[in-house]
Amino acid sequence: MLTINILNGLVYGSLLIIVASGLALIYGLRRVVNFAHGSLYMLGAYIGYSIALHSNFWAALIIAPLIMGVIGMLLDRYGLRLLQDRDPLSVILVTFGLLLVIEDVVQTVWGKSNLSLDEPELLNTSIQILGTTMPTYRIAVVVAGAAVALGLTLWLRGTRMGLFVRSASTDPTTTAMQGVNTDRLSALVVGLGTALAGFAGVVTAPFLSLSPSMSGDVLIDSFMVVVIGGLGSLPGAFFAAMILGQVQTLGAIYLPDISALLPFLLMIAILLWRPAGLAGNRT
Amino acid sequence: MKSTRTSRSRILPWSVLAVAIGLAGSMAISSAIMLSLLTQAAIYAIFASGIGVLLRQSGVASFGHAAFFGLGGYIIAILLNDGAVSAETAVILALVGIAVFAFLLGLVIVRVPGIAFAMLTLAFGQLFYQLASNSRSLTGGADGMTINWPNSLFGVSFSTLLDQHVLFGICWVALVLSLAALAWLRHSRLGHVSEAIRDNIERASFIGIQTLIPRALIFAVSAIIVGVAGALSAVNTGFISPESLHWSVSGSALMMVVVGGYRLVWGPAFGAIVFFLAKDWIGDYADHWLALFGIALIIVVVFTDAGISGALNRLIHKKRKGGPANGAVAAVKP
Repeated sequence: MLTINILNGLVYGSLLIIVASGLALIYGLRRVVNFAHGSLYMLGAYIGYSIALHSNFWAALIIAPLIMGVIGMLLDRYGLRLLQDRDPLSVILVTFGLLLVIEDVVQTVWGKSNLSLDEPELLNTSIQILGTTMPTYRIAVVVAGAAVALGLTLWLRGTRMGLFVRSASTDPTTTAMQGVNTDRLSALVVGLGTALAGFAGVVTAPFLSLSPSMSGDVLIDSFMVVVIGGLGSLPGAFFAAMILGQVQTLGAIYLPDISALLPFLLMIAILLWRPAGLAGNRT
Repeated sequence: MKSTRTSRSRILPWSVLAVAIGLAGSMAISSAIMLSLLTQAAIYAIFASGIGVLLRQSGVASFGHAAFFGLGGYIIAILLNDGAVSAETAVILALVGIAVFAFLLGLVIVRVPGIAFAMLTLAFGQLFYQLASNSRSLTGGADGMTINWPNSLFGVSFSTLLDQHVLFGICWVALVLSLAALAWLRHSRLGHVSEAIRDNIERASFIGIQTLIPRALIFAVSAIIVGVAGALSAVNTGFISPESLHWSVSGSALMMVVVGGYRLVWGPAFGAIVFFLAKDWIGDYADHWLALFGIALIIVVVFTDAGISGALNRLIHKKRKGGPANGAVAAVKP
């Protein structure tokens, strides 16, 4: 019983890794907390749903994130870049306005009722793992989360462009002076972050139903992940996502009365101990 | 400080004028629908003023103040259901409880930097939404609970209280009193200290200002004002449900604050009144209301830096002085 709950916590943690890493990447480059990130995740899920209806799940898994990536680049070019000299609060409010617009678009196009997407046939089985039976799809979600974490780490640590992204996150002005086109880099990173939100949306669709309220919970959980992990830190976010996934899942089973409180208590405790988050050292 | 004294001396005449105009104006309205709309607008104007003071004095935005709005109603409803205390005590306990709780919470969360603060308040507000939805035995869960008001409150019979004109009058007076208190706060020592901390916390602490307590106090003031709005809403609707704690309520109120402009004390309240009148005016498109207001929010943030009230203020000063406005608007640049 404990094994299956820990595995489920791992599944939710993996989902949070995918969503929160997009949030952390965008924060790193643009110093913007994107309140529309949850809505972009939802939009990705709905676009994926429509694509899957007309072709299949695998097409949705590739095309929806690509569409979201383009939306993200446009958001950076015609939104965040123009606002980069404004105070952070103004930009937060603009992303909040965007959130309302996206929620309305989703409700208008797809309606308010719950929709569900079938698992792809290839993964519509279950496997024995550590003595319990798990749906294969859930294991695939964990694999996807691990792949995103590993892929991003290798990209940031091992490539020239990753080096530019890391240096632009530390000091955009100096990086630009060295001849790096930080605007193009930001468009790419915001596009990637938004594509990851869309990817998470499609991945979620088969095991959580689609509804216009799906954005709120994920937004709040991924906020907690990046605050606990330290704003803008990817390793911090990965670690915090895993912890939060376990706290959410185990709390709901073993401490149902106070399960809603646990993530907040954890967050408050960590922030009292380290106000900048686990991996945060920058202000 | 001379300027402080003259600014403070203006509060009383303006308040009396505002009360007189509001009450006289409401007497001229006989439409029950319009009065109920204005009552709701006045309640949300108080709500918005509470969020506004946090932005004005501390420079941080809360996405979770619906917690204090709903908490006011829930504490009153639970105490009245229990029957242990009188309705008057319940109202006072609710407001004192919110103030103490917000101060203690403020000691913890004002320490995190501005962006994380916005995220934390969102998460914190949603915590109360989940608590109220889940604890079925205490709060009736998602169905909400009816508030068992007695026959009279503070010596006024409840049927009189629920008269549309009387209720609007009470809410309007409460709004003007809140604004007067906030205007006074702005020119008080706490107001000056909190603005110094907002502008540069390191310098403020170098010159010997204790930086944590004033920020927690401002947070508590902001919560108690929102709590007053929650208590008035509890009288107005006689019902409380988790919906009033939802983050979208906090978000709507914050939008009113920003669209109205928070640098002037009356800005957020003005934004709330514009919000309700515009919502009524667009009528048929009300389904897309939040998206339309979202677009309005983006436009206001991108093209102005002080909201509608700031733009109006600049216009008035330009006319009066024949030059660009300085005074209040320019002085409070963060």
